[in-house]
Parts: sequence; structure tokens; C-alpha cells
Amino acid sequence: MNELNNANALNPGESQRFHKQERNAFLRLYEIFGIYFVAVILLFVGVFVNTNFFTADNFLNVLRNIALLGIASCGMAFVVYIGKWCDLSLPSYMALSGTVAIACLPFGFVPALICGVLAGMAIGAMNGLVVGWLNANPILWTLAVVYFMEGFMRFTWSNNQIYPDQVLESRGLDTTAADHFLAIFQTDILSIPLIVVVMILMFVLCHLVLTRTRFGLFAKYVGSSLEAAKSSGVNVKLIVLYSFLATAFCGSIAGIFITSLNKLGVFYLGQGYDFKSVTAVVIGGMMQSGGRGSMIGVFGGVLVIGLLSNIMNFIGINTFQQDIITGSIFILVVGFHQYQLRSQGKDYA
Amino acid sequence: MSKERISLRMKRVTKAFPGTLAVDGVDFDVRQGEVHALLGENGAGKSTLMKMLAGSFADYTGEIQINGESVSLHTPSEAIENGIGMIYQELSLARPITIAENVLVGRLPKKNFLMLDKKKMREETLKILESVGLELDPFTFVEDISPHEAQLVEIAKVMSHNPSILVMDEPTSSLSRQEVEKLFHIIDDLKAKGLAIVYISHHLPEIFRVADRFTVMRDGKKIATGDISDVTASDIVNMMVGKSMTEFYKKRASEVESKKALVVEHITREGFFHDLSFHAYKGEILGIVGLAGAGRSEMARSMVGIDPMDSGRIEINGKVLKLGSYSRAIKAGMVYLSEDRKNDGLFLRLSVKENVLAAKVTDFCNCGIYSKRHEGKTVRSMIEKLYIQPPNPNVGVGNLSGGNQQKVLLGKWLACTPDIIILDEPSRGVDVGAKSIIHDVIIELADMGKTVILLTSDLPEMVGLADRVMVLKEGHMIGSMEKAQLTEESILLAANGEGI
Amino acid sequence: MHKKNISFFQLLDKNRALAMLIIAVLFFWIHPGARNFMTVYNMTTILKGASLSGICAVGFTLIFIIGQIDLSIGSVLMLSGMLTIGLQPALGWTLSAIVGVLSGIAVGLVNGLLVSKVKINSFIVTLGTMIIVRGLMHLYCDGGAKSVDDFAIADWLEMQVLGVFTPMTLITIGIVALFAFILMLTRYGRGFFMVGGNAETAWLAGLKRDQYIIVGFIICDGLAAVGGAVFAMSLASSTANAILGTKTLMQVIAAIIIGGTLMTGGKGSIIKSFIAVLFLVTVNNGFGCFGFGFEVQIFVNGLILALVVLYEAYTLYKRELLRGQRPYLLEELERSNS
Repeated sequence: MNELNNANALNPGESQRFHKQERNAFLRLYEIFGIYFVAVILLFVGVFVNTNFFTADNFLNVLRNIALLGIASCGMAFVVYIGKWCDLSLPSYMALSGTVAIACLPFGFVPALICGVLAGMAIGAMNGLVVGWLNANPILWTLAVVYFMEGFMRFTWSNNQIYPDQVLESRGLDTTAADHFLAIFQTDILSIPLIVVVMILMFVLCHLVLTRTRFGLFAKYVGSSLEAAKSSGVNVKLIVLYSFLATAFCGSIAGIFITSLNKLGVFYLGQGYDFKSVTAVVIGGMMQSGGRGSMIGVFGGVLVIGLLSNIMNFIGINTFQQDIITGSIFILVVGFHQYQLRSQGKDYA
Repeated sequence: MSKERISLRMKRVTKAFPGTLAVDGVDFDVRQGEVHALLGENGAGKSTLMKMLAGSFADYTGEIQINGESVSLHTPSEAIENGIGMIYQELSLARPITIAENVLVGRLPKKNFLMLDKKKMREETLKILESVGLELDPFTFVEDISPHEAQLVEIAKVMSHNPSILVMDEPTSSLSRQEVEKLFHIIDDLKAKGLAIVYISHHLPEIFRVADRFTVMRDGKKIATGDISDVTASDIVNMMVGKSMTEFYKKRASEVESKKALVVEHITREGFFHDLSFHAYKGEILGIVGLAGAGRSEMARSMVGIDPMDSGRIEINGKVLKLGSYSRAIKAGMVYLSEDRKNDGLFLRLSVKENVLAAKVTDFCNCGIYSKRHEGKTVRSMIEKLYIQPPNPNVGVGNLSGGNQQKVLLGKWLACTPDIIILDEPSRGVDVGAKSIIHDVIIELADMGKTVILLTSDLPEMVGLADRVMVLKEGHMIGSMEKAQLTEESILLAANGEGI
Repeated sequence: MHKKNISFFQLLDKNRALAMLIIAVLFFWIHPGARNFMTVYNMTTILKGASLSGICAVGFTLIFIIGQIDLSIGSVLMLSGMLTIGLQPALGWTLSAIVGVLSGIAVGLVNGLLVSKVKINSFIVTLGTMIIVRGLMHLYCDGGAKSVDDFAIADWLEMQVLGVFTPMTLITIGIVALFAFILMLTRYGRGFFMVGGNAETAWLAGLKRDQYIIVGFIICDGLAAVGGAVFAMSLASSTANAILGTKTLMQVIAAIIIGGTLMTGGKGSIIKSFIAVLFLVTVNNGFGCFGFGFEVQIFVNGLILALVVLYEAYTLYKRELLRGQRPYLLEELERSNS
């Protein structure tokens, strides 16, 4: 019986690990809010750089500039969260939803928006089915989708841009719907731009989805270990499908805004948002191995990118040089995060 | 015997992992021309000891002598240079690569300074394969050959380094009986050539067939060494377990009820198991025995719906279960504790709490919205019931010991309050304390009128717990045994297809 | 000794890039709509068009074989091209090209170190370096274009020798052949397969994984830089339009997958990747001969890649389903059925 008692008692090694865990309670906080430390540092830097930095106008400006990226990253986060690397077809969702929305304007303003979002989600559904059911490599598959969607859109609209008012005028219809569409990006709600409101709502919604719903919890399990999730009764295929649909949904919303911003629909809208949003998501603490991080972190990641770009604009660094600094900070943050996970002994991936 | 030369001597070797002493001051020696069986339960430190020998650890303390000379074995290449050959339990062949390259890795023949000599590669590989009686084209890809061929290739590969000391860790786990016999002939030949062989296996009959001497390890320490002819199987089991078996198992408080909880009829998954039918009563612990490769885990995985099933019918408490979805099976009250907890059992990156609740999420959801109200209670009750150490629900499961990990895995399924629980190797690789807790829980479940289906290769456990045993051999059900008939020997014989 | 029987289908699958290339060439040759296809001039164009992606595919195949990915090649090839053109007036062609290639090697070294020593996933590392290198390139050229007046080297690269070949094509084929030789027939080259196929075995055999990863990234980014330099030389100019980089990256990935290289590592062939590049370029060119626009080319490219990815996923899915199946049980089933 002696042995039994010994085994039940905390053995020295285990108690050591136990304390390490406790000490890491604040590191858990860091895991969620870590990127905000960087954001706060940036705020201080910003104050020194320019007196106009710490004004409501400027913050609104920052938010407006990151809103598109924010909505797109919100979507990208779902695919990253379930450990499926990334969805490179995000630009396709954006371009297709915007363009389809314009093309559907003759049916009315609201139906057009719905059609646009549905078109984007159709692509998402296809991705989800292929990746979920056949377990295809998400990077390669979505890469292929980007290709043929671009071809498809160029073909359908014969390489042309389509304009909301022209679509309506050519059918002899009233152009109010087009005006509505173009106004989407310009609208303010209580002097806050609509797109900022939408972004914040999306983040709140997605955060609730990930933390408070069955889907969100299952997504975490799938991201942590697909095999174990399968052996715990989780319908992994369905979760993958839903995640791609969520990505497509957010991508489509972003697509409508970017189309409204550009006042035209064309296949190349949204290009570049694929890697940009992955960068934001990863800076925000969602590692590619899945099941880690949170939407709060992703918002932090987006915010850091926005602040960084804002400050560099104040200093007068051009976009290209900004790339260099953003990229370096990206690698630094990820490297630090990785180092931390390893020192915590959490690097099982 | 003492005049024989000692090939390998390990003196007071110790290897610590963060938190545990995996090998604690062990003395171990192997003579030339003998097969030395290294025995112990999973987690006893056998594999760590042998990995030390293979140069897997840069830091160990103690001394290792080979043929009387002290050597340092801190890298794999040092081990190979010193004539140590390791045959691992898990295949260490690279699957997308040809046999020849796998066999000759690190010493591919060259010609003209630079180029590979394909002709010589072919010749050398053929010669090496011949030594284990394999006839394969050296340029076949490993992924295209069968598992047992791969196992033999692995052995051939190690043999080709002409080791003077050979370590075999469960070399027969993927071989059929004839192939095992073939392997034993090869071992006999090697012995005659004067090699020192360390043989690790859980199949006791194999040990008595090939070994000359044995060493038993437990909890990182050496328990005993001796000649195999001086002991019986039960002696060895006692040494491995550390106490006589009766102490381990509580008495059942209740009898098996006469109501059938589970009826399985003619289930088949082609190529895995064929036409299995059985039933289990409420409050029964039904054991299913079979050697590795008999199709036990495959059957269980298909039954609950993780893997597909070709045909058959399953009834739970009189209701037919629609096959093919694990969540449906869980809802119907049948759960499966998987065999490989690191791979498909636990979420190693998540906390104890998250792991325990993994299968419970659906129950806590209302219209898809998750309610946290009951989760604290559920997790606390599991931690208390299973004595999970440390009793902190937020600890990462990856940081727990094997025993506590297994308890968490069990807790995940107990939280679902299943009627039928299929336990696949519930006590593999756990310490004695955890094992006894797990056994108590199993008996308690049966006493509560639940049905437990026990798949274990731990014979004392099977004898101590099972009320009835079904025997599976090569995908077929070949018979059953009642409690009175159960002894370790009878189970082993039955699993080998004899004595039923 | 018995050889494992290989069915016709398996043989076809193993050489699918070649089969696809032959079918594509025959189709466009025979089809009356593409009369310009089988001309010496057009063949020269195809080979020339395949050179940039061809050179990049060599290194990228290597990266896939060791189980990594390198997104930065697009930026690297553009930076190298820009440096080659930009420094030419000051340094002359040889030195400027060397500087260009050195820039690629430097990026490769950084990638390799970050992946092997800091242990960050290569997807993330190279995503970061992709952004940084693109920034550096823009910084150097100020977001515009650079060109030189010295067309001698461009003319030389495009000069027709040996029928349909040009020096540019020959350089590409030379690089493909050299690295295919190293990878297939030298001990060091085979090590890449072992490291990607089973890192543990490689380690046990004394192969240094970190070293292979660093060398792999250096070769990959170095070759991308060579490709970029040669391409820029052939145009005697270089623009900062990012489209060249991303399109090359995508085409290279598509070609490698079509060529049968596994993204998970351990399996791949440089020659098959090059043939697949030729195939993609041929298809694009053939549709061009039909008079179809870029939209059809890119659509077909995407479709082909999608089909190959689907096919790979499906076969893997099937194989996973049958893993652990016992042959004697199947035989028994057959016996009882017959």
C-alpha cells in the first residue's frame, strides 16, 4: 500500500511543474493580451512622434484604415483557429461578393448585398467541403481556387470593371440603389464610420461565437488536435465546413466595403488581403498550429498594424519602408511567442 | 557461466527527465552470445535505458562499458561506432524512400568521388536483405511494402552495421506467427555468432522461447536479474507488478444483471474484422482478448463510429444504433477510450478542464449556446473521483505524468455518464497508483450497472477484472471464456488460438 | 528476387507531368485552331517562358522535399532582378548579377536560421521575409522601374542556338540538370530526402537536419535570385510590379504539386517539376494560340491545380482508410465469395 500512497502524493517533479503553471498565470494573460503591450508601447511612441497623434480624430482615422483588414482578419482567424493554416482564397471571396453585389443591384439594394455575401459563401462552402471531407491541403487547394476564381471572374465580366450606376442605367433603372451602394463606405453612425462599427460588431460577434457557442468550443478542439477531436465525438468535417463558411462570410462583408470604397467591382479587389490578414492573425497570437489565441488577440494584431502604419505615416516613412518594419516586427513577435511557448513546455506541435 | 565474456556493462546509470528519474542507478550487463530479456511494465524505464545505449541522450550519469572498455554514448553515431544496433518498436524507416536508401542511410556507396554507385547499392542491399530472408527489389519504396516486410527491413538495416550488441524493442508486434518463428531462427543464428542481444517484449511466451537471462525493471530501478530457467511466468509478472495480484482488485459488490445492454450482430469491416457477434449484460465487465493485430481496437473504433463499418447491427439497451457517427453513439450511451492517448486521446495543448469537458460540450449547450454553469462542478467531481494530480483544472495536460493523463482521459468519458464504456488499454504506461485507481473506477462502474468492455493486453488486469472474455484472433471471434476459466495462461493460449 | 508489380495506372501517375505535357503538346499540335503552335518561334517562346519558373521550381522542389515551404521566392527574385539592373551601370553585368544572387543567398540564410534555430514555422518565417524583401526591393527602386541601355546581354540571352534553344533556356536546363544530378545521384543530395521523409531516422543516421534546412533555403532563395537576375537581364529592365513575384510563386507551387512532389516532404523530383512548368507554360501558350485571353489561361491553370490537389487528397484519403487492413482477411473474403 505504501507505493500506492506515494504515487498519489504529489511527487517532487510534479509539484515543480505545478508551481511553474501557477507562476505562468500571468503568462496566460499575456497569451490573450500580449499584443496589447506592443500596442501600448506604440501609443507612447506615437505621442512623442506627433502632437496630433493622441486625438480622437486620429484614432478614428486609424480605426477606419484598419477596418477592412480587421473584418478580413476576423474571417481568416477561423481557418487559422481550427489549424487549417490559412485561406488564400480570401481575396476571391472579397472580389466575388463585391462584384456580384453590383451585378445584382437591379434586384434592389438589400437583395444585392445578400446575393453578394451568398456568392462569397458559396466559394467558402466549396473550400470547406473539399478541405473537410477529403482532407485536402488547405494552402494548395485555396491557392488553386484563387487561380480559377480569378479566371472565372475575368471571363464572366470579360476583364472589365463594372460600375454600379452603369449596371442600373443599362437596364434603364433608377440609380438610387447604386447611390446607396456607393454610400456604404461613406456612411457615418454618430460620426463613427459605418465600417468601423461593423468591424467592432464583427469582432464582438466572432469572439462570442468562438467562446460561447458549441461551434466555437469544437473549433478549439479541432484546432488543438484533429484526431483527438474526432475521437471525442466531434464532427470534424462539419466544423471545418463551418469555419470556411465563417471566413467566407467575413471576407464577403469586407468585399462589399472594399467594392463600395473603390466604386467599382473587379476581379483584383482584395488582392493582398490574404497574406496581410494572416500576418495580423498571427501577430495577434493565433499560431498556425491551431486552437490557440483569441479574437481579442486578433483585434490587437490588427490594431498594432494600424498604429504602426499611422505612426510611420506621421514620421514620413513611405509604404515600402513600412513593409520592412512591419515584416520585422511580425517575425520578432512570432519568434518571441514561439520562444515563450517552448519555455512553458507547451510546444507540442 | 561467469567465465563468459561480458559484452555490455552499464554501471549505476541514471537519466533524469524534468520531474522524474526515468532510470535510477541501474546496473545492467549482457554477456556475449546470450539473449537477455529486459522486462517491466510500460513506463518502468526499459525504453529509456535502451535509448541511453543508442546514444539518444547527451546527458546521463554512470558508466557504460563495451567489451571491458569504458565508452561515451552521447550521439547516435557514437553508438553505431561502438557496435550497438537498435531495432525500435515504431518503425524508423522513411516511407517515401526506397529500401536501399533506408538500409544504407548515412553510408551510401560512392564512385568517382561524388556519384552514388547504384549497382553497388543494389548488391549491398540484396545481401543485407538476404540475411533476414527477404526477397524484395532494393529500389522499392518502403510505403509500397507490407508492415511485416518493413519490420524485417528494419532488422536487416540494423544488422547491416554488424553490431556486437543488438537491442530489440518489441520486434514482433507487427509480425504474424510464422514470421515470428522466422525471426527467432534469425536470433538463434545471431546468438551462435556471438552477439549480445537485449530483447524487450511483453509476450512472456516469447521470452521463455528466446531468452537466456532476464532483468526486471520497475519505476526506473532494477528489481531482479537471473537465469530464465530459474523462474516461471508468474514470478516474472510478480516482479514486474511488485505485489501479488490479489491486492489490486476490489471485490465486486453486485452481480452481473441478466438484462442485455449491448447486442452486436455480424459486424464486418472488410480486411479488418469479419462477422463478429457478441453481447454484453448490464453490470458486466466483458474482456476482449487478442494478440496485437487481432483487430480489437479496429472493432471498437468502428463500433462507435470513428472508423467506417461495412455491415452489421448494434443494439444498445434494445434500441438499434444508427452506425457511422460517434456523436450519435455517445448520445446513445456508448463511448470509447482510445488506445493511443497522446495521438487521438488527449488534447495535449489544452488544460485538464478543457480535456474533461471535450465530450460534454454538446450536453452543456442550449440551441448551440454554451453554458458554463455546470462545467466547474463536473470537472471538480472528476478531479476528486480520479485523484488527478495536481488538482488544478487549469494545468496543461501535456505537463502531467502518464498516469494522470490517463485519468484525465478516463474522466472525459466518465463525465458523459455512459451506459457502455469501451476501454482500450486503460492502464498502459501508467504508474501503479493510477492503475489501481483506474481499476477501482472500472469495478465501480460495473457495480453501478454499467457495461464495461475491456480491451487490454495486460493479462493480470484481464484476469482480475473481467467477468467473461471473448477471444479475437486475426479478425475473427474464436470463442469465449467464463470467469472461472480465466487464468493468465488460459488467456494467452486462447489468444493464440489454442485451448478453447 | 521479385519486383513489385506496378500497374499501368501507377506508372502513369508517377509520370503524370510528362503525360500531361505530351497530351497538351499533341492536342495543340493537331488542333486546327492553334496553327501557330508548332513553329520554331513558338517553341522558343515556350522554353523561354518556362525559364524563370523553371529555375525557381528547382529550389522550391528541394524545399518541399525537406518538408518546408518558402513564400519569399517571389520577392527574392524581384529584388535580385532589380539589383542586377540597378547596379549594372556601376559594376557591370557580372558583378551586379553576383550581388543579386548574393542577396538571395542572404535571404535564404535568414530563412534557414529562423526555421531551424528559432524553430518558427517556415510558412510564417517566409511570409515575414516575403514582406520585408518586397519592402527592400521597393526601397531600392523607389517603387518605380529600372532599366539599362546595354542590350547586348539581352540579345545574347535571346539568340537562337541549336534550333529552339536560346542561351537562357540552356542556362535553365543546365541548372535543372545540375541540381537533379546532385539530388538524385549524390550522397548529400539523398540526405535531403531522408531529412524530409523521416527526421528521426535521419538524425539517428547522423544527418544534421538543421544544416540541411539552412542549405535548402540558401539553395532555394539563391536559385530564385539567379532566376530573377537572368530574367531581368533578358529584359534589360525590371519593374517593381509585385505581380511578377506572386504569379511566379503560384505557378511554381502548382508545377511542383503537378510534378508529384509531396508537401509533407521526402518525395519529389526536380525534373518532373520542370516538366510540369513546361506543361503549364505550354497550356497557357496553346490557349494563347487559340486566341483566348489571359482569363482562360489562368482559369485552366487553376482548374488543373485544383484537380491535382483533389486527386492527391482523394488517394491519400483512400489510403488512410485502408491503412492497417490485413491482406489475409481480404484473401479469405475472396475465397468465401467465390
